[in-house]
Amino acid sequence: MTASTMVLKALGTFFLYAVVAMFAQNAVFSRALGVSRLVKMVDDPTIDTFIFGAMLTAVQLISTPLAWYANLLMAPLGSWRPLVRPLIFVLCSGIGFFVVLFFIATVLKQVDAKNAIAALPMATFNCSVLGTMLIAATQNFTLLQTMGFALGSSAGYVLAVMVATEAQRKLQSRAVPACFKGLPITLIYIGVLALAIYGFTGHMLAI
Amino acid sequence: MNERKKARVRYCANNMERLTQRDRIFLNNPVMIQGLGLAPIVIAATTMKNATILAVAVILLLTPTRVIAALLTRGTYFRFRGLTYSLVAATLYIGVGWVCIALFGQDIQAVGLYLPLLVVEPIIIKRHERNQKEHVRTAFKKGIFTTIGFLLVLFFVAGARELMAFGTLYGKTVLTVIAVPVAQYASGGFIILGLLAALWRFATNAFKKNINIKMKKIEAEGQQK
Repeated sequence: MTASTMVLKALGTFFLYAVVAMFAQNAVFSRALGVSRLVKMVDDPTIDTFIFGAMLTAVQLISTPLAWYANLLMAPLGSWRPLVRPLIFVLCSGIGFFVVLFFIATVLKQVDAKNAIAALPMATFNCSVLGTMLIAATQNFTLLQTMGFALGSSAGYVLAVMVATEAQRKLQSRAVPACFKGLPITLIYIGVLALAIYGFTGHMLAI
Repeated sequence: MNERKKARVRYCANNMERLTQRDRIFLNNPVMIQGLGLAPIVIAATTMKNATILAVAVILLLTPTRVIAALLTRGTYFRFRGLTYSLVAATLYIGVGWVCIALFGQDIQAVGLYLPLLVVEPIIIKRHERNQKEHVRTAFKKGIFTTIGFLLVLFFVAGARELMAFGTLYGKTVLTVIAVPVAQYASGGFIILGLLAALWRFATNAFKKNINIKMKKIEAEGQQK
């Protein structure tokens, strides 16, 4: 196999996993990862979806390869590995948190930095970030697959936030009964979209 | 209406806002009103057995995390509290996971990654987003009531979904006809939880309205006298 074929194959694997994580295995619609945060965000105009998405993607891309290596190093732990995994993965997220924080503090302007720092803890300590690491670890993904899945997962999460935020204009209509407004109608809306994705994939994901 | 009931209505009417903020079981339920802890309920709470596994983990994780984190975050910078809460929960999870394996064995695989995911689930660590530091006693009290509020919804939703999707309750056949097979899927979980949340909100609004009507009656009686 030539070098160019290998590069193309690697790129293909990367994008395949990214697309799968973004659509067919969307963090929100297929696994409900980070859905509590999402329903809060769509009601909260102070959180900028773009900044939150950028923070989430940056933290995810820094911490997921660290978690992949850490998972390999934890192999001798045997039956204790699943118990210690969350602690190690949270530490990896913590490293991602400080790297992004350092970048924000040194590069961004004061106003942008303030908004980004406010969104950073929410974007870091999130079920979507830890969930992606746990899926990659338990399904024995390679580093390339893990990176593709991490990128697609964060892009998929941001896509879900944008879809849910956009729908709010319709969901706040007067035709919606008072007791359905807010959380209930948002959950039903996400459920209908999840049903459409289930129809597209045709099977339930292993949890 | 006797005097004791009148006093209770007066207390509720005059303190409704405070009661709504403080109550973690009905008026301000962490799941149905605040929208916390949705992921494990939507995906993993499909049977009562799964709900029991999640319940044991939440009982052992929520209040201790909140109390220890309240102690540790006294001297830390506000933006680093998320890390402290998550690290405390993840450290405690080593013991919690061990207890769950000892109690349920291989059955814990039915809840999959939703057991370790509890360490960053907003119902456990959401408090870090608030600027004010939390007193240890308050953390303990709120931790207990949040746990009760979460468990109430967890078992209610799991029971309803098991009945609708499999026609069983705790594995025992109750219905011969499976009414809503989609209840076992993520989409079914979202829709059922959304409908129950609407019903819950209807009940809380009806309760508040009822208190206001009774209060007006009491005031009218007082003016007549």
